[in-house]
Amino acid sequence: MGFHGEKNRPAKKHKSSKDHHYMVHDEDSYYPEELEDNNRDGEKEGKKTDFTNLELKPDHANRPLWACADGRIFLETFSSLYKQAYDFLIAIAEPVCRPESMHEYNLTPHSLYAAVSVGLDTETIITVLNKLSKTKLPKEMIDFIHASTANYGKVKLVLKKNRYFIESPFPEVLKTLLKDEVVGKARISSENANGTDGFTISKALGEMRSGHDELLTEAELATAAEEKETHSFEIDPSQVENVKQRCLPNALNYPMLEEYDFRNDTVNPDLDVELKPHARPRPYQEKSLTKMFGNGRARSGIIVLPCGAGKSLVGVSAACRIRKSCLCLATNAVSVDQWAFQFKLWSTIKDEQICRFTSDSKERFRGNAGVVVTTYNMVAFGGKRSEESEKIIEEIRNREWGLLLMDEVHVVPAHMFRKVISLTKSHCKLGLTATLVREDERITDLNFLIGPKLYEANWLDLVKGGFIANVQCAEVWCPMTKEFFAEYLKKDNAKRKQALYVMNPNKFRACEFLIRFHEQQRGDKIIVFADNLFALTEYAMKLRKPMIYGATSHVERTKILEAFKTSRDVNTIFLSKVGDNSIDIPEANVIIQISSHAGSRRQEAQRLGRILRAKGRLEDRMAGGKEEYNAFFYSLVSTDTQEMYYSTKRQQFLIDQGYSFKVITSLPPADSGPELSYYRLEDQLALLKKVLTAGDDLVGLEQLEEDADDIALVKGRRSMGSMSAMSGASGMVYMEYNTGQKKQGHGLMKGKPKDPSKRHHLFKRRYG
Amino acid sequence: MVNATKGLFISCDIPMAQFIFKLNASLPDSQKFIICELDSTHLFVQPHASEMIRSAIAEFRDQNTYEKPP
Repeated sequence: MGFHGEKNRPAKKHKSSKDHHYMVHDEDSYYPEELEDNNRDGEKEGKKTDFTNLELKPDHANRPLWACADGRIFLETFSSLYKQAYDFLIAIAEPVCRPESMHEYNLTPHSLYAAVSVGLDTETIITVLNKLSKTKLPKEMIDFIHASTANYGKVKLVLKKNRYFIESPFPEVLKTLLKDEVVGKARISSENANGTDGFTISKALGEMRSGHDELLTEAELATAAEEKETHSFEIDPSQVENVKQRCLPNALNYPMLEEYDFRNDTVNPDLDVELKPHARPRPYQEKSLTKMFGNGRARSGIIVLPCGAGKSLVGVSAACRIRKSCLCLATNAVSVDQWAFQFKLWSTIKDEQICRFTSDSKERFRGNAGVVVTTYNMVAFGGKRSEESEKIIEEIRNREWGLLLMDEVHVVPAHMFRKVISLTKSHCKLGLTATLVREDERITDLNFLIGPKLYEANWLDLVKGGFIANVQCAEVWCPMTKEFFAEYLKKDNAKRKQALYVMNPNKFRACEFLIRFHEQQRGDKIIVFADNLFALTEYAMKLRKPMIYGATSHVERTKILEAFKTSRDVNTIFLSKVGDNSIDIPEANVIIQISSHAGSRRQEAQRLGRILRAKGRLEDRMAGGKEEYNAFFYSLVSTDTQEMYYSTKRQQFLIDQGYSFKVITSLPPADSGPELSYYRLEDQLALLKKVLTAGDDLVGLEQLEEDADDIALVKGRRSMGSMSAMSGASGMVYMEYNTGQKKQGHGLMKGKPKDPSKRHHLFKRRYG
Repeated sequence: MVNATKGLFISCDIPMAQFIFKLNASLPDSQKFIICELDSTHLFVQPHASEMIRSAIAEFRDQNTYEKPP
């Protein structure tokens, strides 16, 4: 009986869910929404939305942006000056939301710091901004820019001969810095440090400054003249991170620039590599590199490009320009292989100059310079190592790296990954990422760990240019069946809620339908994501498809991925969250997400990234080309469950990038019958029984080693944030941040009880 | 003899019917409001229960709805 009743549901569903709103991205609705938000915050906020006193310039129609007193800037993307204005804004402000016709940016001290570090000075920022703005620049904004940039660019952190120095042309600035307790303590007195170099005079000067021009002439012959007035002192390498943090705008406000004058570095051996002629960086890749190498030196910082937009080429190009030893860090062994491959693909690097260092392959490069590709885990690992890897690690520690290339840098702030940065000495750090969001809001840590954001691409512009796939995002609403929902509501099933809504037979049928449709009608390659291991196994077994999860060995993973890439018979694979980051599967163009990790915006974006790599011919992909959409991202959601909450939250990041989600309510179509699984009630009930009798350890989430970052944090919260503990939707948001702090160490704890889901199945019964 | 009871006819989707059943079951006998379960999408309940059902459903739905913090 259940089924015919359900067929009628979609229409009703639609009506009843008006409260479930999605952001509408057109200009008209934008301002009213802002107003509403701000009014809620009371009168003080109300002032911000009163723009009547802004003075419009007579030729405002030709100018692309609106600048508001509170630091917000709105950019019209249909303006003829859009491109130039965008390039400028992305350098000085933080993008908040970038839908199709109107972008919102925010001026922050950090974003202005980034602007100064790519070589823009205060006056340029104000002049250009004034030129582009439709209204006269508000005085508050000008003051803000002055206040935030006054101190920037005065202090530099330089690594010379394996020692860190803080440099500045203004000795009084260094004095100010040294008055600070943290910086003062971190200083290594010049007596010990420079005694052998014969800097007795500088030592006699006492305190903080040592006229360093002699050392400079040695190391940087060419620039000696202009650097003559530089004063510097040495600091303790282990304190570098703290010192950098102290110097940020929220403390001493002398943010340090890190630059590496690699052309004049005669101490470190050159690495003889060049880009191959066929490697032609695309316009935006070129642009991001220009930001990095703007003044002939290499700046540390982060480049944000969507997945599939060719981050590896940017990384390899950077290494080829610096031409010194390079340490490349990735998140897992598979992506280590991929990076090594990318280096060989794009550059003229010889086999013996590049080596991989993972638990499976411990290679070493010959010669005195080379590229090492390894994982964050390998470097940060604190336990006992084999003799061989101990030797390699020692080498990594002692070497002075020209470039530290960090992939998926959004995972770095977690403690384990910070260790990596303090352990390795590098002249220049380049972070690459697609999603600079974390649920624990620790993304700002990156500002002092690596450097400012140098460049961020606009997703929709890349889509229009045909550089990344044009993805149709859809949220498929699957109603719960009667029996599953009855169990879902029971209090004593609180722990199984997730398993229940993921195993919802209607969801299974929708998934099966989508797989069939895309495999048979379009000949697509499909990835199905499930965080819940129980669901992953059930789905994959029932549909007889290969799957990869945490416990799958490296060999088997490679084999399955290879089959997926080459075989005509393997068109669908099931991945647990191991597939979220950096596994490169260029063939796939459809993603079906059946369960996800709570409200992680980053995971959603990373998963979407798996299919962003553009496929097919360029002319078809360009705006107005043959195919409107060439990739599909489905998120299957059981309605009336917690999943709806998480699903909307997860989409926020992509919505901010200008994507919109289409809601589909009629899958599988009403006329589908027994050809899809779980048609009969008995089958559904059998499945329900299976879910209810499965051990607690099985229905839970998969725990991975690499989860020591925020994903793990949110998971910790997840069990606490069960429905009964929740007082209301808004309270959830708070809980997330609060508990995040406490749980921080959780994933890192040594000797933590073994994760039950990884136990051998024979033991599971005994302990489980 | 014909017995007439005044009541409220509710027509809803399957999960919501389940939700109302559960709400009914969680109350002590004296406060039970469902007079008759007609089928999986239709119920007949006491007329005074309407407000309570509405607010319970509204609360349940709110919990499952994410609103972007301002």
